[in-house]
Amino acid sequence: MNRWITAPFLLMLLLLAGSELIVRGFFARNMSGRFEYGYHPTAGFVENQDGTVSLVRAGGRRFFPQRFSRRRPAGTFRVLVVGDSVPRGPSVAASYPGRIAGKLQALGIQAESYNMGVAGNGARRSQIILRKALDYEPSVVVLHVNNSNEYEDEREFKRAQEFKSWSPKNWLMKSLLVHRLHEAKTEQMFWKWLPGEVRILGAPTDADAEVQASQNLAKIREWDERVRQHTAASVALARDRGVPILLVAQTRCRQDASGHYALDDMGLDRMLLPFIGKGVYFLSMKEVFQETDFAPLFGDQAHLRLAGHERMAEAVVNKLRQENLSRGG
Amino acid sequence: MSFVSWQYALFLPALLLAYWRLPWRGRILLLVTGSYFFYGMWDPRFLALLLTTTVVDYFNALAIAGRRAPSARIFGIASLPLVWLTACLATGSGHSGSTKWAVTAAAFFPIVYASAYQLLWGLPVRKQRRSFLLFSIMSNLAVLCFFKYFNFFGGSLTLLLDHLGWDPGWTLPHIILPVGISFYTFQSISYAVDVYRNTAKPADDFFTFAAFVSFFPQLVAGPIERCHDLLPQLQKPAVLEAAHLHRGLRLILVGLFKKVFVADNCAVLANFAFDAKTPLNGQWALLGVLAFAFQIYGDFSGYTDIARGSARLLGIHLNSNFRFPYFASNPADFWRRWHQTLSAWFRDYVYIPLGGNRHGTSISIRNVWITMLLAGLWHGANWTYVLWGGYHAMLLTLFRVLPALDQLGETRLNSRGRQTVGVMLMFALSLVGWAIFRSKDMAELGRWFTAFGNWSASATVDWVKPFGWWLAHAGPLLLLQAATWKARDEVEFAHFSWPFRGLVYTLLFLLAASSAVNDVEFIYFQF
Repeated sequence: MNRWITAPFLLMLLLLAGSELIVRGFFARNMSGRFEYGYHPTAGFVENQDGTVSLVRAGGRRFFPQRFSRRRPAGTFRVLVVGDSVPRGPSVAASYPGRIAGKLQALGIQAESYNMGVAGNGARRSQIILRKALDYEPSVVVLHVNNSNEYEDEREFKRAQEFKSWSPKNWLMKSLLVHRLHEAKTEQMFWKWLPGEVRILGAPTDADAEVQASQNLAKIREWDERVRQHTAASVALARDRGVPILLVAQTRCRQDASGHYALDDMGLDRMLLPFIGKGVYFLSMKEVFQETDFAPLFGDQAHLRLAGHERMAEAVVNKLRQENLSRGG
Repeated sequence: MSFVSWQYALFLPALLLAYWRLPWRGRILLLVTGSYFFYGMWDPRFLALLLTTTVVDYFNALAIAGRRAPSARIFGIASLPLVWLTACLATGSGHSGSTKWAVTAAAFFPIVYASAYQLLWGLPVRKQRRSFLLFSIMSNLAVLCFFKYFNFFGGSLTLLLDHLGWDPGWTLPHIILPVGISFYTFQSISYAVDVYRNTAKPADDFFTFAAFVSFFPQLVAGPIERCHDLLPQLQKPAVLEAAHLHRGLRLILVGLFKKVFVADNCAVLANFAFDAKTPLNGQWALLGVLAFAFQIYGDFSGYTDIARGSARLLGIHLNSNFRFPYFASNPADFWRRWHQTLSAWFRDYVYIPLGGNRHGTSISIRNVWITMLLAGLWHGANWTYVLWGGYHAMLLTLFRVLPALDQLGETRLNSRGRQTVGVMLMFALSLVGWAIFRSKDMAELGRWFTAFGNWSASATVDWVKPFGWWLAHAGPLLLLQAATWKARDEVEFAHFSWPFRGLVYTLLFLLAASSAVNDVEFIYFQF
């Protein structure tokens, strides 16, 4: 008999439809927004039944795994640091956000600090993390401001928008079953089984386009203005929630033609100074490092070595004490 | 347009809906239009080249069969590439400099071709057929050599002269390689030769022949079809049957699984191992080539399955290209299982015309070497491909002159254990071949070989978990092969119960879907 639909094909359709319904019915809450490319409001924040929050690598948001209580413990000074790969560092323990707590505890302050840095995040995506971080009762938030990730922010924003569009390119991933499977495979296999050196060669790169854009002065001005606007919005967010915010301005360590090293704040100090006001504080990395033999503290132009993170942690703690913030535990 | 793009996912169903509603003539016109659209998505300018090949082989094949076309008709049809390129230029498609150059060439083409055609008809009758055949072969080879090998041989010559201390002072133009040129030129050559040998009849209708040359499922990476297989299927209307739908969808599903799940994920490891900056040790050299073996197999056989599936949905059967190649027990067996249509092409149009194995062992071995070196060069304009062809020629020679090696795989003569040893030996030998094939140059190949002298785990990144990654992606393919082994076909497992088959289809779909995000081009498009 010339049957158009065969039993195995029908079974396949039923299994796929059934699985989709089950996933939508029982696992939809776990969706962590891989296809929002860092623009999902909660990706990477998992609120557990026991009242704790886990920071996980999910949804294009590669947090270092950390866990803390949703409510700030009474009498504890909680510092949450938001930013890009510079504050993120090589690990929580080796980064300045991770070292702040230890330095405060050494001063007799019951403190905890968490690293919410995500490599490649610019002002726009940092703001989304900051918004969520404010839910967890920080005593102070540290916003590390850099202006070198705006290309990436923009590109990922376009990707996120495109995913929400009608484009057939994204139809397959509209299935929650496929979406979850893809996400699980990426997070649990691709990231965990393959070393970074292997992954990076398998990833599509648009480095050339990024370099080209970063040499366009008009583009740079446009990016700087965007950083200013998003930082202003982040400051307003923290103010609204009554949480003090410390703005840290990134600096770069550049070598000139004669081989001398110099610090360059890329105009960030000038950009952030006007924000200083009630509940808003400012720390310039350039000022922190210029008094020292700074070149050995940098691993490259922007990223810090262990000693650099140590120096930054000291500077942040000093600033908190100077502004009497660390007493508020 | 790639088979794994969303554009194709819309293109194929739309074309199918129209195709099955049209009468025969309409279907042919739709196939030609659809195929040209499919190909033009890469670069519309190269449709003029495809059209030129089509024009030459159409009229030449008719001439070989003794049928002379009127000059006005030849001139009219030969003007089509010019019309197309002018339209490209007018609409701003492509780079204007090279397009203008191509327009000039296309402007001369009708005059030159029509004149040459009339000139050959003026030859004595006994020379006419042979002349038209040579004209057809030479024009196809000229197109292939210019676009594929000009930079390669020009660059090699420049390098040689440079080594000899003489600066030639020329700058070679960068010539873009049209997608699939090796496939459609070979198909066109076989058409002219088959008509000459009287094993096939020439196509009467220009559009049917255009559909034969440009048939989109197999246009860019084969299978390389013979005219006596494909042309008759195009010349009569196919009947819509449920079997076409079932078989076509099965082929497409398995093809997507092979490409998206197996090949693209194995590529991550192969790209790392064969990157010049990667510090290699023995473990990674082995893992890299294992990954590449499954990448290229999944990529190419996946492409072929989708091509055959798409054609089958149109009611057209295309030949298979793969039959469990990594279970071959000797080099000859490998080439009967790997890229079968290309192997058959080289056998029928190069190896046998050279004398095949009819004139003793030494002549036969010479013919093997010529054939394999050409087959290697066919894969790409790089000395590593030539070396790869030479390596396989050496294996074929060794297995011929050392019978003990060949008998390892003789199932009827030997135990299952000896068969297994033969398969394992051939797989190991084919891995060495893939290392040659994958290396960009001799330095990279040397780096791969020397890595086997260093088994220190600390020499590079961890290999254990990446090995798990490879196993997780190659393993399901091997399981699928075990399931389809009995049917001696890579996509059929009808002997299993229907619930099992339904479950397998579901798993194949989900495995492919879980990897389907990046658009990774098929490897064989570059050949």
